[in-house]
Amino acid sequence: MDIYDKLKILADSAKYDASCSSSGSNRKNVNNGIGNGHVSGICHSWGADGRCISLLKILMTNSCMYDCKYCVNRATNSIRRATFTPQEIADLTINFYKRNYIEGLFLSSAVIKSPDYTMEMLVKTVTILRNEYNFNGYIHCKTIPGCSQELIDSLGSLVDRMSINIELPSNDSLKLLAPQKEKTGILKPMSYISNNIEQNRLIKSRFKPKFVPAGQTTQMIIGATPESDLKILKLSEGLYQKLKLKRVYYSAYVSVNNDKNLPTLESPPLLRENRLYQADWLLRFYGFKADELLNKSHPNFNHILDPKCDWALRNIDKFPIEINTANYFTLLRIPGIGIISAKKIIKARLNFLLNFDDLKKLGVVLKRAKYFITCKGKYFDKVYKFNQNFIETNLIYQERIDSNRKINFEQLSLFSNSYDNNYSYLTKEKSLLFKRLQPTKEDKIKCLTGSL
Amino acid sequence: MSNWKLINKTYVYDGSFDGFLTIVFDSYSNKVLPQKIYSYKDYVENFLDKVLYIKTDYEKSKRVFNGIEKNICYESLYNSYNAFLSNEKDKEIHILKYLCNGFDVGPKINNMITTSYVFKVINMRRKALAECHKLKGLLRFQEIGNNLCYSSIHPDNNILEPLGHHFINRLPSMNFIIHDKIRDLCFIYNCKEYKIVDSKNLKISEISDDEKIYQDLWKIFFKTIAIKERKNSRCQMQYMPKKYWKDLIEMSN
Repeated sequence: MDIYDKLKILADSAKYDASCSSSGSNRKNVNNGIGNGHVSGICHSWGADGRCISLLKILMTNSCMYDCKYCVNRATNSIRRATFTPQEIADLTINFYKRNYIEGLFLSSAVIKSPDYTMEMLVKTVTILRNEYNFNGYIHCKTIPGCSQELIDSLGSLVDRMSINIELPSNDSLKLLAPQKEKTGILKPMSYISNNIEQNRLIKSRFKPKFVPAGQTTQMIIGATPESDLKILKLSEGLYQKLKLKRVYYSAYVSVNNDKNLPTLESPPLLRENRLYQADWLLRFYGFKADELLNKSHPNFNHILDPKCDWALRNIDKFPIEINTANYFTLLRIPGIGIISAKKIIKARLNFLLNFDDLKKLGVVLKRAKYFITCKGKYFDKVYKFNQNFIETNLIYQERIDSNRKINFEQLSLFSNSYDNNYSYLTKEKSLLFKRLQPTKEDKIKCLTGSL
Repeated sequence: MSNWKLINKTYVYDGSFDGFLTIVFDSYSNKVLPQKIYSYKDYVENFLDKVLYIKTDYEKSKRVFNGIEKNICYESLYNSYNAFLSNEKDKEIHILKYLCNGFDVGPKINNMITTSYVFKVINMRRKALAECHKLKGLLRFQEIGNNLCYSSIHPDNNILEPLGHHFINRLPSMNFIIHDKIRDLCFIYNCKEYKIVDSKNLKISEISDDEKIYQDLWKIFFKTIAIKERKNSRCQMQYMPKKYWKDLIEMSN
C-alpha cells in the first residue's frame, strides 16, 4: 500500500473529530528549527463542508480492537485498514508545514494491540518531530484511555494540546453504545492531565519545562442518544469549572453504522449543534450559567431564537439596559452585543455619551439589540412599545424575512419547483416557516416551545 | 486642529511610509492641511491641481516616527503604520488628520472612535491586518530548488512586509520569495536578511521533484477531510473568498 492510499484511508477515518484549532500556544522557534506557535491560531484552508483545516488531521492506525457502535473504525466494520509508521507521519508533517499547508499535526489513533502500545507509538512520532526535525509547530495529540501515567507525562511534555473524547454525555449511553469504555477510564486521565497543568503553572521559573501549554479539550456526539440539551450543557459547565478544560466540542451525529441501538437520522442535527456552540460561548465568555439558559421546564433550546435572545425574553424584567451606564458584563447580556461591541462601547463612552447614531458608527449591530437598550434614556425610534409580546413578534418576524432572503438566491426559471427540492435540514424548516408569513398568536407559541 | 488652514494644494510623494511621515512633519509644523495627497504611481496630472512634490526626508520622518510613540502612544504608531498598508483611496489624508490631532490630544485619540477619521483609520488598520492574517494561512509555498521556496499572492492591501516577517519567524532556515503579483513586489529572504524589490519579469518555470508528490498528497487530504453529509460550499466560500483561489493548490483545478 503506497502513501497516497494510506493518507486517504487514515484522513477519512479521522474526519469526524471536530477539533481543529491551533490556538493557545506561543511556542517559540528555537535553534533555527522549523515552525513556531501562533497564539490566536491560523486556519490554512476550508474544506467543502465549511470546516477549517488548520492541522494535518490523521489517525496513526484505524485497525481498532474496540467495537463502539457509533464509530466508523469499530472492529466489526469491514473497511480498509492501514497503519502509518512514525517516520512517515513525521515526514508528511514537515513537508506539509514547510509549504504552509498546515499549522501542525493532529494525531489520533485507534487502539491497536493495547492502550500502552498505541500510546508508545504516538510518543515515538512526536519525539521524532520535536527532537530530530527540531519542529516547533503545533501538535495536538489524543490520549488513549487506559494507558499508563508515565506515557501521559512524556507525551504531555512534548505536545501543545491533549484531548480525550468523552464521546457520549452520560454513563448509560456509554454502556449502550460503547460497552468497552467506562466513565472512570475517560475521566481519570483527564483529571490527571489537568492536575499536572495546574502544578506546572505554579512553577515560577523562566526555564520551566512546558506541559500541554494549550490545555486539553474533549468532544461529545450530539443526537445519537436521548440526552436533553440541559444535561449536555450542565456536563460542559462542570468540565470547564472542575477540570479547567479549554474547549468542549460538539459533533452532530452522522449515521455511519447500522445498529439497533442507534437512531436513524436523515441528516445530522446541525441546528442543535449550532445552538449548543452558541450556549457554550455564553458559558465561557459572557458569564452565563447553564441554569440560567435552560431549566427543567425548558430543557431544550429554542429552534428559532438563539439562546441569548431566548434568555432575554424570559427575563424581560432586567431590560431595557442603558448603554451609557451599564457595566461590561451587563452589556454582554444584551442580545446582539458581543465582546467586541461591548469593549468598543466602553472605550467610546469615556469621551462623551453615546446615542443610537454613534452606536451605528461604532459598528454595533442593532438588529436585535435595539429592542433591549436605551441611549440617554430614550428608546430606539421604531421601538414604540416595550413589552415582551411586541419584541417576540418582531424578532421572529425579522427572522422570517431574513430566512426568505437566504432561500431566494437562485436563478429564476419557468420550470423550477424550488420548494420541492432537497433543501438542507435548516433551510427546509425555514422555508416552511416562511409560507405562513403573518405570525398568528398560536403559531408564535408553537415556535417558542419548539414544536413545529 | 480647529485653527488650521486648509490650503488648495495637492501633495504628491513617493508612496513610501517615510515619504508620508515627511508630509506629516511639514503639515504639522506649518499648521496646514492639503486638499489631496497622492503617490507618484496613482497621480494623474490634472490641469486644475496646484501640485507640490514632496521629497522624502529621512531625518524628518525619523523624528515623526519617534515622536508618535513618545507624544501619542505606541498604539497610534501601530494604527497609522498598518492603516497605511491598506488600499483605501484617501488613506493618507485620514491618517494625517488622525496623527496631527493625536499630537494635540495625546493617547486619548484612540478612544474617540466616533470621530470620522479615527474610525476610518482604525477600520483601515483592521482590514489590512485581517487580510494579512488570512494570507498567513492561505499562502502556499512551492519548492523550486534546494531549500528555496516561491509563493505568489494577490492581496488587496500592501501587506508584504508584515507577512514576510511572520514567515521569517516561522521558517528562519528556509530561503523564500513571496511575490505580490498585483503590485509586482517581491519579498526575498536568504536566511540572514530580507529585501523588498520590484519584480516586473519574474517567472517561475521549474518546480522540484518532490513538489508534485506533496501537492498531490495535499489535494487528496483536502478532499477526504470534508464530511459529505455536511456539505456547505457557501460557508467555505465565506471564509475562503474566490479571489484567493488562483493561488491555492487545492482549489486551482
